[in-house]
Amino acid sequence: MLELIDLSRHFGGVKAVEALNTTIEEGQIFGLIGPNGSGKSTTVNLITGLLPPTRGSIRFEGEDISALPSHTRLARGIARTFQNIRLFGQLSVWQNLWVAENGAAHRTAGRIGRWLGGSRADRIRLRAELEFSGLSEKADELAANLSFGEQRRLELARALASRPRLLLLDEPAAGMNAEEIAALDDRIRAIRDRGVTVLLIEHHMELVMAVTDRIAVLNFGQRIAEGTPAEVQANPRVREAYLGTTDAA
Amino acid sequence: MDFLYGLGQIIGVHTLLGLSAYVVLQTGQVSLAQAGFMAIGAYVAAMLTVLAKWPLLVALAAGAGTAGIVACIVGFPALRVRGLMLVIATLAFGEAVRLFFFNFDYQIAMGGIKVGPVGGEGFRQIRYFPENGWTTGQVMLLIWAIVAVVMAAIWWLDRSRAGAVLRAVGEDEVAAQSAGINLTVAKVAAMTIGGAIAGLAGGIYAHYTTHIEQSNFSILLATFAIAYPILGGLSSVFGTLLAVIFVQGFLIEVLRPLGDWRNLLFGALIVLAMNVRPRGLVDGAVARRIAGILGRSGGERRA
Repeated sequence: MLELIDLSRHFGGVKAVEALNTTIEEGQIFGLIGPNGSGKSTTVNLITGLLPPTRGSIRFEGEDISALPSHTRLARGIARTFQNIRLFGQLSVWQNLWVAENGAAHRTAGRIGRWLGGSRADRIRLRAELEFSGLSEKADELAANLSFGEQRRLELARALASRPRLLLLDEPAAGMNAEEIAALDDRIRAIRDRGVTVLLIEHHMELVMAVTDRIAVLNFGQRIAEGTPAEVQANPRVREAYLGTTDAA
Repeated sequence: MDFLYGLGQIIGVHTLLGLSAYVVLQTGQVSLAQAGFMAIGAYVAAMLTVLAKWPLLVALAAGAGTAGIVACIVGFPALRVRGLMLVIATLAFGEAVRLFFFNFDYQIAMGGIKVGPVGGEGFRQIRYFPENGWTTGQVMLLIWAIVAVVMAAIWWLDRSRAGAVLRAVGEDEVAAQSAGINLTVAKVAAMTIGGAIAGLAGGIYAHYTTHIEQSNFSILLATFAIAYPILGGLSSVFGTLLAVIFVQGFLIEVLRPLGDWRNLLFGALIVLAMNVRPRGLVDGAVARRIAGILGRSGGERRA
């Protein structure tokens, strides 16, 4: 579904991402892990089009999307959440979803209507999305007035409102307690069961190991390992990246 | 009575000018070009009624349309700059428009006298209203009918998905484009709508004062244009109206007997108002109450 081919992004002399090659299959929950500064967030920004790649390309469902702007990639079905929550604080919960509602399926006739309000079917769908995220009661609340946990759920709901086929979660467990992480685990599986492929960037290893089908490990912008959670855990290079270099035995 | 009519006309035109900046501010763009767009609307509409003998409403629409098109063109380079850079760029554009009219001569002889804009002297004899026998009351009615229509349209825009999109861009551009919003379309659309409304304000202004010149459309007017929605709050169109009434009605007219002390108090009262109500006179909470009184609040209820 998503292919990263020789994907590189340099900031001046810093190689944030260097020659990254990997493939995410449809229906997978794919984990992307690595120490701080290993290039995970840069990779997400490259896939969603917030940054242009220095070299290499990104193919989504067989097409090269490397040159498309962010909003077009969303229309194609790539949505994301942010590591530091980025909601529209002065818009209501409902408006946050409304804005992201993706009318790619509608054609020109529906275009103007979509800008003005969207169809009744869209509204029903957005209500269902609020229900799924447990935010039905808060629809008229300003996003800025929600609790931290609710804001995380709203950001996820906003991403889902666009009917993505690939969802990129950038450290969704940051700042969550054990109970909330368990709920997040269920939620990620529920999203996958809706037919959405998930790319999960996360520091919380228990969650990543429990929920993902496959994991790629980055260090200094390069992929140092890829495989099932068990394979990755057993890989000495991964241990080295996380625990520091040990003298060659 | 004439005094009240005069005040009513100023408040009407300045409300339109403030609303033109209100729409642009929704997307987070601070534009000091609004006085320039107003000048374009004023000169175009006045030339059409005086020199080409067009009917007033058609001329006003043409003036608004021209200003809107120019604003759309300005909107594209404006995309590349933001924050203070955008303020300076739009200021430069506004001044360029003013200086264009400072140098602009286009006179034709009508009934033995030459009419039309003459550079620094400006454009006199915009006599559509007296020539067509409009009373001051009728002019007033026309102005406020137009203000009401524009306010209703923006009120409705605010409630629509498009309004939420503009606000989303103003809040967080990165999140907005990641939520599928085309920043170019949103920002240029806001600029175009704002330019057209400012042009409309200019057309009306030209016809009720009967005499316009470049100095009417200075940086001071551009500053007022953005001050109204900021003082009134970006939550509701009523904030802008209230701010115009507060500034033009109260600060300028009621305090007039204070003479030179007025300007000092003027600044102090605006600072005070911003401190007491940091999100504007009509902030989110008040706007919701107004929305509640007027019916629907947000899009959600309609689902």
